[in-house]
Amino acid sequence: MQTMVNKRHLTVSFMKLPLKECSWLIKTKMRKTIRAQMKIQQMSFMLMAVTLFFILVGLFALVFGLSGVKQSALALEEKNVLLLVTKLANSPEFSCGNSFGSNKMNCIDADKVMVLKDSIDKYTGFWGSGIQNIMIRTMPIAETKLCTKSSYDGCNTIDVFSKGSTGFPIENFVSLCRKQAGQNGVYDKCEVAKLIIYYNEKQ
Amino acid sequence: MINNKNGFLQISFPWLFAIIVGIFILFLAIYGVTKLIQTEETIQGAKTSKEIGVLLNPLETGFEEAKASSITFPVETRVYNICNDFGEFGNQVITVSQMSFNKWTKTDIDVNFPNKYIFSTDFVEGKKMYVFSKPFDFPFKVTDLIYMTSTSDSYCFIDAPEEIQDEIGNLNQENLLFENCTEKSIAVCFSDRNDCDMVVNYNKGSVERPSGNVYFEGDALMYAAIFSSEDNYECQLKRLMKKISSLAQLYKEKSAFVALSGCNSNLDSDLQMLITSAEGLENSANLYSLSAIVSDIERKNQENSQCKLW
Repeated sequence: MQTMVNKRHLTVSFMKLPLKECSWLIKTKMRKTIRAQMKIQQMSFMLMAVTLFFILVGLFALVFGLSGVKQSALALEEKNVLLLVTKLANSPEFSCGNSFGSNKMNCIDADKVMVLKDSIDKYTGFWGSGIQNIMIRTMPIAETKLCTKSSYDGCNTIDVFSKGSTGFPIENFVSLCRKQAGQNGVYDKCEVAKLIIYYNEKQ
Repeated sequence: MINNKNGFLQISFPWLFAIIVGIFILFLAIYGVTKLIQTEETIQGAKTSKEIGVLLNPLETGFEEAKASSITFPVETRVYNICNDFGEFGNQVITVSQMSFNKWTKTDIDVNFPNKYIFSTDFVEGKKMYVFSKPFDFPFKVTDLIYMTSTSDSYCFIDAPEEIQDEIGNLNQENLLFENCTEKSIAVCFSDRNDCDMVVNYNKGSVERPSGNVYFEGDALMYAAIFSSEDNYECQLKRLMKKISSLAQLYKEKSAFVALSGCNSNLDSDLQMLITSAEGLENSANLYSLSAIVSDIERKNQENSQCKLW
């Protein structure tokens, strides 16, 4: 019997084999082919599993990293707003300057703010995009009486800027000064007030 | 793998398959990690830009005096100062690029600050940066101008007036010198000399450089002209003019509003002139045309002791 059986490639000179042995060889070859196919399948599944594992790990790392970015962005924005509330009171658009005597820290010119209210659209995003409301309330805080040009006397709240929705408030005590007509002419009227910025974190 | 009788290397299909897919996975992993590093660098750059903006906030509450501070970075950093003069107030853009693996990272994220005015060269490079601010009044307070320099760039002020020496000396900035200047120092002369990088002509209100002249009014703008590039200065000046115009409009309306309480400022027509001139300013060479109007308004406001507008 002349059989040349290679471990991988079965080569048999079938012509010289009896029928019984020939069928045995065919069965062996088929069994080996099936086993090889199984191995390929196992390998494929394994490789797919490894790939999926790496992809999942990568996605997890990405989500984790991005959540950190969002948090640090929010932290920076909050820090910005905390500093802004002090900065705003001393900004040229709000500050008293020398209108009420010497230059004062944290002094807001109510007359200027009342005028600023009318052109506030120009300042959208100027002090920060997360700011929803800017409000000035005289102390002690009583029932809200909004200031308009027609109801300027006796009001206690200047709603400088409002986007409608509110957020968490950040406050700072300020002096709110204005020119007031009196019996003996014009005098400076200054009150203790709170500058309140409503900040809403962007989604 | 099996060697056959002829010594020929035979690779079975599962091995070949495993190698190809393995290479693919490795390539994918390397690509992913590279992308992740790039993203992280971009994030870091954007975060630093925003942090710079936040750190500059305390410098913007000055009245008369200049305020100084410094920013230290963990690695060698380039802060790009970009100015946009379009829109209502224009924009101050800060972009940061940091040294990573001996290469400058590229950042596409720009952080905008419409309420800041930073004067510097096109980019400031170093691990530590000095910043100082000075209020800009024209004639009312417009904003606080911020000047940014790197510790690696030193400026030598030669023959500077006494008040400038006092002001700069009080800042305690190591890179602003009056004596013991090195050869690398940028020589800023207040008198005509040959060895100067720029000459400040106080009477003409100009800073003269070999590349061209820029013009200023007041010390705040003089510092701006010294520390910034010409393009940056001209652009920021246009932004400042927009702010002046807007504030002048505000004061004009305030003037009418306080008049209802019996407070007359009589500055309406002057403020309207300032608005028109500020809006029409094309470059710093025409700045002198505003100075007469500004002086006049300042005088009138000072004289009106009872009803000062600012």
